[in-house]
Amino acid sequence: MPDLQPPDDVLLSSLAARDLGALAALYDRYGRLAYSLAYRILGESEAAEDVVQDAFLSAWRGAGTYRRERGNPRAWLLSIVHHRAVDILRRKTTFRPAPLEMAESQPSDDDTALTAEKNVEHRTVREALEALPQAQRRTIELAYFGGYTHVELSELMGVPLGTVKGRMRIGLQKMRRALERTR
Amino acid sequence: MTEHVLDELEAYALGALDRAEAERIAQHLSTCASCRKDAAALAEIVDALPDTVALREPRPALRERLLQAARTETRLPLRGGVSRRWSLALVRPWRLAIAAVGAAVIVLGAADVDAYRRLVAVTAERDAYNKTMESIREGARTWYMAGLDSFNGSGGTLYDPRAAGKQPFVLFHDLPPIAQDKVLTIWLVSPDSTWARAATFRPSGQDIQVVEISSEVAGFDRCAVTLDDSPWGKHGTIVMESRIAPPTPP
Repeated sequence: MPDLQPPDDVLLSSLAARDLGALAALYDRYGRLAYSLAYRILGESEAAEDVVQDAFLSAWRGAGTYRRERGNPRAWLLSIVHHRAVDILRRKTTFRPAPLEMAESQPSDDDTALTAEKNVEHRTVREALEALPQAQRRTIELAYFGGYTHVELSELMGVPLGTVKGRMRIGLQKMRRALERTR
Repeated sequence: MTEHVLDELEAYALGALDRAEAERIAQHLSTCASCRKDAAALAEIVDALPDTVALREPRPALRERLLQAARTETRLPLRGGVSRRWSLALVRPWRLAIAAVGAAVIVLGAADVDAYRRLVAVTAERDAYNKTMESIREGARTWYMAGLDSFNGSGGTLYDPRAAGKQPFVLFHDLPPIAQDKVLTIWLVSPDSTWARAATFRPSGQDIQVVEISSEVAGFDRCAVTLDDSPWGKHGTIVMESRIAPPTPP
């Protein structure tokens, strides 16, 4: 059975044409992942929902200005979610939930072929991250999900800034090699 | 160009810079292809990080809340006191489809099935559609001119029918209104930079508009549309243009 779902690029073009159906389809495709990312960063369901709504509305308003060089539509949308969530996190000065304190994986309740295929991709990325030495993995997680700047990480982890940069560089290089092997 | 920023690209990709640092890196990337390439490679890895997150379901009400907010925005008047803001956001897919058919003809040698189906949906503009399809069937060569500056979001496809006796024409979409004392001119430009006036017109106010042109396309290597003070004299501001590729040798 061929996949009749319109590709992301087509959905974005329709979004630019103010097609609410395209917005609904984009949300159905990425709303769950966007919410999960926002929740992972913020640790609060209400704030995460606000971020997701804000991000999709931002895409709704800005789809006409989307350019492919910004990344594919999924990456573009999730980068909006990430930026919004981290902005909110950084405004909170009292407490930042570290990613390792956050919720553990929950099994997916979908069993479609597409979901199964996606889950393979997700597992590959997760395994690539988990395979990193703890210091590199923690640096990447605290930076991306914890919203810490590299200078803050240097203080938090008690290591020179150059070490933080090195952990990021080597960690991402290893992840790239791991992902390339599976593609 | 500022110094390369290789040392900070990982932190930039991960969003681990403060706003001022991030802006400095972004500024450098806008001018440095080498760093931009490295940044794009890193971004690909970072873009995969959301896949490591445990999936959670948002409340079902979020979907309706989002759609309601978007619906409300759509009903509100556009900001800035302008009656209509001309941007890609206002170009409906079927209008893009008309322009896309031209590109499909060039790439595929015939209108692809999907573009054809979308084009068929354009019932409101039947005359333009018929004219366009007739030209495509007859193997017209096409070139798309994208609107520039205040014409951003509009565009026009120059059709050069191969059939004898058929005039070339430009199919415009989303032309913005222009001042009462202005006109638009379609030009054909020869390799020695001689500008030949092919048609003068004003926007009809319709979503799409066909303008026939009076001369042969052969022998020219560029077409352009200008916003002019009068239908004679030198050309004014270029609002859209395209190269005209020479015919492929047999």
